[in-house]
Amino acid sequence: MTPGLDDLPRLLAACAARDRAAFERLYRETSPKLFGVALRILRREDWAEDVLQECYVRIWNHAQDYRAGLATPMTWMTSIVRNRCLDWLRRPNLEVIDEEGELIEAAASNAPGPLAELESAGDARALRKCLETLDARQRQAIALAYYDGLSHSELAAHLREPLGTVKTWVRRGLLRLKSCLETA
Amino acid sequence: MNWRNNPELQERLAAEYALGTLRGRARRRLERWMREDAALARAVAEWETRLAPLAHAIPAVTPPARLWRAILDRLPPAPQAGLWDNLAFWRGLGLAASGAAAVLVAAVALLSPQPPVPAPAPVVLKVPSTDMAEVYLAVLSDPKTNKPLLLVTAGRHADQMQVRTLDPSIRVSGKDLELWALPAGGVPTSLGVVGDAERSMVKLASAADQSLANVPTLAISLEPKGGSPTGRATGPVLAVGPCIKFW
Repeated sequence: MTPGLDDLPRLLAACAARDRAAFERLYRETSPKLFGVALRILRREDWAEDVLQECYVRIWNHAQDYRAGLATPMTWMTSIVRNRCLDWLRRPNLEVIDEEGELIEAAASNAPGPLAELESAGDARALRKCLETLDARQRQAIALAYYDGLSHSELAAHLREPLGTVKTWVRRGLLRLKSCLETA
Repeated sequence: MNWRNNPELQERLAAEYALGTLRGRARRRLERWMREDAALARAVAEWETRLAPLAHAIPAVTPPARLWRAILDRLPPAPQAGLWDNLAFWRGLGLAASGAAAVLVAAVALLSPQPPVPAPAPVVLKVPSTDMAEVYLAVLSDPKTNKPLLLVTAGRHADQMQVRTLDPSIRVSGKDLELWALPAGGVPTSLGVVGDAERSMVKLASAADQSLANVPTLAISLEPKGGSPTGRATGPVLAVGPCIKFW
């Protein structure tokens, strides 16, 4: 029997109580999703493995810091992984990942990327509808930042726009997203 | 810019942190502020929740099996059985021999592996004579600092537990502490809400020998008044500890 997402709060609480069997179940249940997130941002399997390794050790060590009132376990763990990936990309001497490559092509061809896969149910549906109300450039900048971990200056380079313009797209896009989600 | 009195700036920083475009020193700085300011931490968590459905669209990829082994290698070693399970140690304290009322000196300081923590005063517990010191016993400690926070005892035939709060700072006004049994490989079950007094009783559904026989671990979580509404721990786990049979 798979525990399912509903079981994650209980598994995390058991991890806080140092239950290694619960930790293994938590890992089995969540690692494919989190590995996917890390791979998407880092685009290298060995890096994604290193990051996930650190993140699960962190999840084990900090399970008691999880606050059910603030976020779901999956959101909490995804944030840990995304944050670590962003740190990883900032390491000095990191080889260039995507020199003049895939990302620019994707941006230029206006490929929808994972956005097109957004589920049509629940929260995802509301977010998708709100994303659709954004200006296409705002939407693209937000997607590239979230999915590919691009900074403002990387966004500006990839989208071939001035830094200030890109910053404004992101800021306005986020503001609009919030007000749309609040009225949804 | 002073972010504290600037809700719009706070909101923008929280959003850009969650999206990932806030980088470098600004990102580190916001992480520091989040630790000091619960409202800011909440704003970030709300943004992470708003954007979370984006991650649903990323295809899942099962990582190679070596990853789990590498993670296991990096976990701190499992807590050793140590003094708790060492009956010779307890007998050495000359407890079980005593007749009418066994006085149990749980030398808690001995059990704390972190010398810099000031040694707490020894806890002296009177065990009801009728139980002849046949008790279930647990000291629940902060999982991070190992500081002992609560002491739980139950005569093996009794249908109630005595709970003593060793550190009053564990309590939060408007919240209750809830005690959980964590059976080996099973689902944690609530043992009940702990009263506000330093010493309180928690009624068991059946005699301790039934309720606690297969429970290697107890835990305390912070819950809404009256206990968790869901039957599962919903708040932070504040203290955990092994539950041992002392006889």
